[in-house]
Amino acid sequence: MQTLIILLGWTVLAWLLVRATQPPADATAPQSAPFLGGGTTGTHAWQRYHFRPYTMTLVFIAFEMEMMFMYPWAVVFVSEGIKALAEMGMFLAILSVGILYGWREGVFRWE
Amino acid sequence: MRLSRLASRAPAPVFGAIGPGWQVAVERLLARSGLRRALTPRDAGILLVAGDMPGDAAEALGRVHDQLPHPRATLRWTVSHETADAVADRIVASWRDLGAIDEADLLPDQPPNEWKGVGPHGQGGKGMMGGTPYGRPMAMTGEDIRDGLQLDRYTARIGPFAPMLPPGLVLEVTLQGDVIVAATVQHPPFAQPVDADAPELCAARMLTILGLDGPARRAIHGRRPGGIWVRGAVPRGLGGIEGAGDARDRLAAFLGGDRAAVTAPDLSELLPGLEWSEAMLVMASLPPSAILRAARLPEAA
Repeated sequence: MQTLIILLGWTVLAWLLVRATQPPADATAPQSAPFLGGGTTGTHAWQRYHFRPYTMTLVFIAFEMEMMFMYPWAVVFVSEGIKALAEMGMFLAILSVGILYGWREGVFRWE
Repeated sequence: MRLSRLASRAPAPVFGAIGPGWQVAVERLLARSGLRRALTPRDAGILLVAGDMPGDAAEALGRVHDQLPHPRATLRWTVSHETADAVADRIVASWRDLGAIDEADLLPDQPPNEWKGVGPHGQGGKGMMGGTPYGRPMAMTGEDIRDGLQLDRYTARIGPFAPMLPPGLVLEVTLQGDVIVAATVQHPPFAQPVDADAPELCAARMLTILGLDGPARRAIHGRRPGGIWVRGAVPRGLGGIEGAGDARDRLAAFLGGDRAAVTAPDLSELLPGLEWSEAMLVMASLPPSAILRAARLPEAA
């Protein structure tokens, strides 16, 4: 009960803070137009673009996941023995597919 | 009340709308202490309209005026015998009691285009493509010039009061993400006096694009801009022009006090392939007279 009251209290406080600090949404049409130095747009702003850092994200996750699994693995490696070694081998093999894909996409090329 | 008085002691943020022949005067004026050159109207409290604006720029000027947040004030500087000191005093005085001045919008409070869509979001087309919500077509796909992916192309007209381009220049650019795929000149820049090509002003324009406001201000005052190896901030090989080196060489020449003699490049060939920030750096590395000649090239042909 107490937890619920605290949670609700914080939610209401956060909501009040947001209401108090957000600017009024009363901008006129010419004010809310994008700034183009007096110019105008030709097409709508909704568009798709290539998220280029995604290969970097892929490599980051591959190496980070490897480390997350390796720490607990290192603790039990001596007691589990060859079974643990085989499991880690399989895990690294799967992760390296991601790294190879990143390589093909040119993430290791210095630009 | 006390807060607004405290705010009025800060340097006055001025957005300069520069007319024919006034570029040098305004650039030198806004480098004074007590004034600050705002690079977007949203950051400004005062709109300085310098020179006699041609009739075809009036609508664009209205758009820029309406984008200043309230409270705002417009000052005109059209008489060439009014000294920069007098104008600076007028600006600071308006900035001090901005709360009492405030101006209403010049343009009517209507969306620039009518709502024409069908469907819940007015997209009007199939799936995520096509349609003309608010009277503007959706961006359609085209081949990315880097790797041939089919990506959306966004078209906008930039200018004539874009602070990173010479005053008067209207560029129609088509972008994929932030890469320019096409650029055409819609209106050439306003003619400016020969002083606009002065190396310290050209260097200051590049430094402003690089985000180095302090060095830019010192350069305009004719002092050493300071900063360690400033030209290293410009990538090598950017915006190379036959006989005038690349943008880094030109910045080095400006900092060394040389007037770079640049043949007018073809802007519609120079800009495509560059990212937006690189393109603006390249534009800033060209003296205004070279851009004026380049913008008039298609007319001559």
